[in-house]
Amino acid sequence: MKENIVIIGGGIAGLEAAGQLAALGYKPIIIEKSDHLGGHVAEWHRLFPDMTPARDVVGGLISRASGSNIFLNTEISFVNKLKDSYNIMLSNGISIITRIILVTTGFSVFEAARKEEYGYGVYDQVMTNRDLEHWFNTGKDKRVDNCAMNAVGFVHCVGSRDEKAKNPQCSKVCCITAIKQAIEIKQRFPEAMVYCFYMDLRMFGKKYEDFYINAQRDYGIRFIRGRVSEVSENIDGRVIVKAEDTLSGKPVKVTLDLLVLMAGMVCSQESTKVANMANLPVDSDGFLKSRDNVTAIIESPKEGVFYAGACTGPKTVPETLAEARAAALEVHLYIKSLE
Amino acid sequence: MRERFLTGYNDFVLPFVCGMLFVLIYCLVGLVRIIMQLPPQDRKKFFISLVTPKTMIKNIKDIFLKCLIHVDLWKRNRLLGYMHSSIAFGWFMLILVGHIEVLLYTSHLGAKALYYPIFFRYFVAETESTMKGALIFFLMDFFLLVVLSGIALAIIKRVRSRFFGMRRTTNPSFLDLIGLYSLWSIFPLRLLAESFTADISGGSFLTKSLNYVFTEFLSNHANMLPAWWAYSCALGIFFFVLPFTRYMHIPTEILLIPLRNAGIRIVNARKGFAKAQVYSCPSCGLCIDACPMGVLKGNLKDTTVYLNRQIRRNNEARIEEISDKCLLCGKCTAVCPVGVEGDKLRIAQRSMRRYNFGPDYSNISAKEEIARCNKFVNSENSNVSSAVNEKVLYFAGCMTALTPVIMKTTGSILEKAGVDYTVMDRDGGICCGRPMLMAGRFAQARQLVEKNTEIILGSGAGTLLLSCPICYKIFREKYSLPGIKIVHHTEYFERLIREGRLKVHRDGTRYVFHDPCELGRGCGIYEPPRNVISCAGELVEAAKNRKESICCGGSLGSLTLGFDKRKAMTENAVSNLTAASPDRIVTACPLCLNTFSRYSDRPVEDIAQVLDRNSSPADITGNNKRQKTIS
Repeated sequence: MKENIVIIGGGIAGLEAAGQLAALGYKPIIIEKSDHLGGHVAEWHRLFPDMTPARDVVGGLISRASGSNIFLNTEISFVNKLKDSYNIMLSNGISIITRIILVTTGFSVFEAARKEEYGYGVYDQVMTNRDLEHWFNTGKDKRVDNCAMNAVGFVHCVGSRDEKAKNPQCSKVCCITAIKQAIEIKQRFPEAMVYCFYMDLRMFGKKYEDFYINAQRDYGIRFIRGRVSEVSENIDGRVIVKAEDTLSGKPVKVTLDLLVLMAGMVCSQESTKVANMANLPVDSDGFLKSRDNVTAIIESPKEGVFYAGACTGPKTVPETLAEARAAALEVHLYIKSLE
Repeated sequence: MRERFLTGYNDFVLPFVCGMLFVLIYCLVGLVRIIMQLPPQDRKKFFISLVTPKTMIKNIKDIFLKCLIHVDLWKRNRLLGYMHSSIAFGWFMLILVGHIEVLLYTSHLGAKALYYPIFFRYFVAETESTMKGALIFFLMDFFLLVVLSGIALAIIKRVRSRFFGMRRTTNPSFLDLIGLYSLWSIFPLRLLAESFTADISGGSFLTKSLNYVFTEFLSNHANMLPAWWAYSCALGIFFFVLPFTRYMHIPTEILLIPLRNAGIRIVNARKGFAKAQVYSCPSCGLCIDACPMGVLKGNLKDTTVYLNRQIRRNNEARIEEISDKCLLCGKCTAVCPVGVEGDKLRIAQRSMRRYNFGPDYSNISAKEEIARCNKFVNSENSNVSSAVNEKVLYFAGCMTALTPVIMKTTGSILEKAGVDYTVMDRDGGICCGRPMLMAGRFAQARQLVEKNTEIILGSGAGTLLLSCPICYKIFREKYSLPGIKIVHHTEYFERLIREGRLKVHRDGTRYVFHDPCELGRGCGIYEPPRNVISCAGELVEAAKNRKESICCGGSLGSLTLGFDKRKAMTENAVSNLTAASPDRIVTACPLCLNTFSRYSDRPVEDIAQVLDRNSSPADITGNNKRQKTIS
């Protein structure tokens, strides 16, 4: 089968779709801007709710997609619409003519420094969920080594459901990620007090609710319903968090050794760039706009352009993988219809 | 000159005389009412100022320059200035010269004094070519021409306001239109009427020439009376509608200027000084272009000119809506040619609302706070010479608590400069009271002011340092802190640099400075931040800056403006700032910083961040030298 299939983005959605397409007998082309495959998941340590090592998941996906043509460290310079196909020019000078583009450009993590009141980049003992995973993976982070971990806080919804941060949407995964990370912290520092500051807990997925109850019952993690109003630093460098406990109706103030911000998902710049080049519409939330949000979430309004994963909105890993498989099948059927 | 009629009367003067008497009585009653509505101490202040020579001279000068010449409008746009001053000054001169003429040529006036100066030409005949009268004839025609040129410009302005530097102009009400059209027609009709009689009563280049050119029509004396009737009717209509139109600003401004010069402030939103301001609004619409909310068309009717109109109509629902929506950036006040204080009017209006409950701050203990902030570090064994060793109390404020980088960099700068300082609200403090003040809740604001005053006086500090202009303004205006200098961090940084206590290195970064409303228009601080930035890099200016700087859109002045509405304002303000393509936007207000960072395409920083990055402690040798010179 000579049909060129271009997959933009080598994260888990791109890899899964490539694996499926390879199984269907195609040889897709994966274009990845960074030097490694697996996207954000490759930087993660363990995945909720079963604590599956992220490395295993990504490793499995890469081995199944190994039959594809993979360009690492490559970006797209421009996309030209030809009569019934696209001409894609890559930054390494290669040009590809294709009738099928699968966009799997994913998301970006919200820049936590933009919520300046939480002090990321200003105070030493403030990190993001991604920094924490990095520490889980490498064991190196001066913020964790600095202090005795007696008290750790997690702030939910940083840059999600926040009009002031231009992101009114829910990032879906942060609630459960915070619980996962809180448990992991508690496992490493059993003596530490761990607080989660949340506005709502959205435990929609399979086994999430159990996970949440575990966190409270078995690990003694404190959940405080109320947004953090401000964060300041005391003389010894620890952070003071002020919030309102809206259940008891009282202000709370805690001093923490580490504050973890659950930065949400925003549309990646790459998605916007590709959307501009290929003339794809962008939805009001900044993510790519599907042909239909109920029946055709993986189809773009353009002929031959498909989506999978978090480029159309925040998604969990299993959702992304399911979409990638669906997109692979959709691509296959589309190619059949062209013949 | 001799009188043509024995009676010296014709029925056509009636519309004018009635109209003028009506206006005079109306204004007199209004004047008495406004003065009676002033609080007693203000009334006393006003009467004293009227007989104080200094304010008397200032009053006359201001009335001449503002009401007749319109200097402020000249500064803004010459064409706009000419249009207004030609009508106002020209008309004034017509009246003045008219009276002189009457005094010179007639005697035993009596009741005729009411209308003779206006209709003089109808009632007299030229006995011989009077050389003595030539100058007056010339002046009358000259000023009539001046007014006519102004009217012509006014007609053009109605159609194309852009020629006059105005993008948008006010939508006139129905009565305004009647006033407008009658005003426009007064002077052409006067020209016509005087042209008819130019061959009898004499005239100059305008009237006489017209009389000669259209001799067929104008020399027919049968046409004469209708023209004079029309002229008198136009005047009469104008005077009858005047109290109910924007032209009420003409008499009211003459009262407003002495009131303002007497130092009177707005107390009640509807009475006294506020009323004088509302009626002084000429509906010119300069505030429409100035208003930052104007980027959204839906908000055009929430500008000060419409607030004044609604207050005059007593439309309570709209008055509340307009008052609550405003961002209180004060730009309309800054551009207003007559000095209507749009922001203060609104705050006064907000204070009229009665709340069923209000927060009570009386249980806050000031003692604890005093203990916490009385911790100056260097007091005992300071190596800084005593001349510069002052105790600085830094009040960061609640907005700075949300932008911790300002507090951190300010602290770092103070340490570099060896300042003996302590932070008053490191662990949370009491609000300065300004948000409550802006919401019109004066009693609550006063409670907060009293608590803070107690803490600051108890701390032993000599200088109160603020990084938030919102706090700075209320500390300057409403706090009484004897012996304590109140400074904004931009001023203080400038001083540290000037005194050589900081070494600043300059790089090639291009900065633009955004004047925060409260710091610039609110407190008049424009130079210190610019001087500081110039030490650190290249300073470029925004398209509109200083007094005309555009509000960032984040202001806490507005009680009702939604977040989605503010976005367009912020984007507009950012594009104004980036006109000269700077690398970074610098501001000196935590709220502006927060708001701009959200939508700006380039880094936004507080002035403390810029200075902290580009400064280092002054070297020891320099320090020693300075110590020597001081001792």
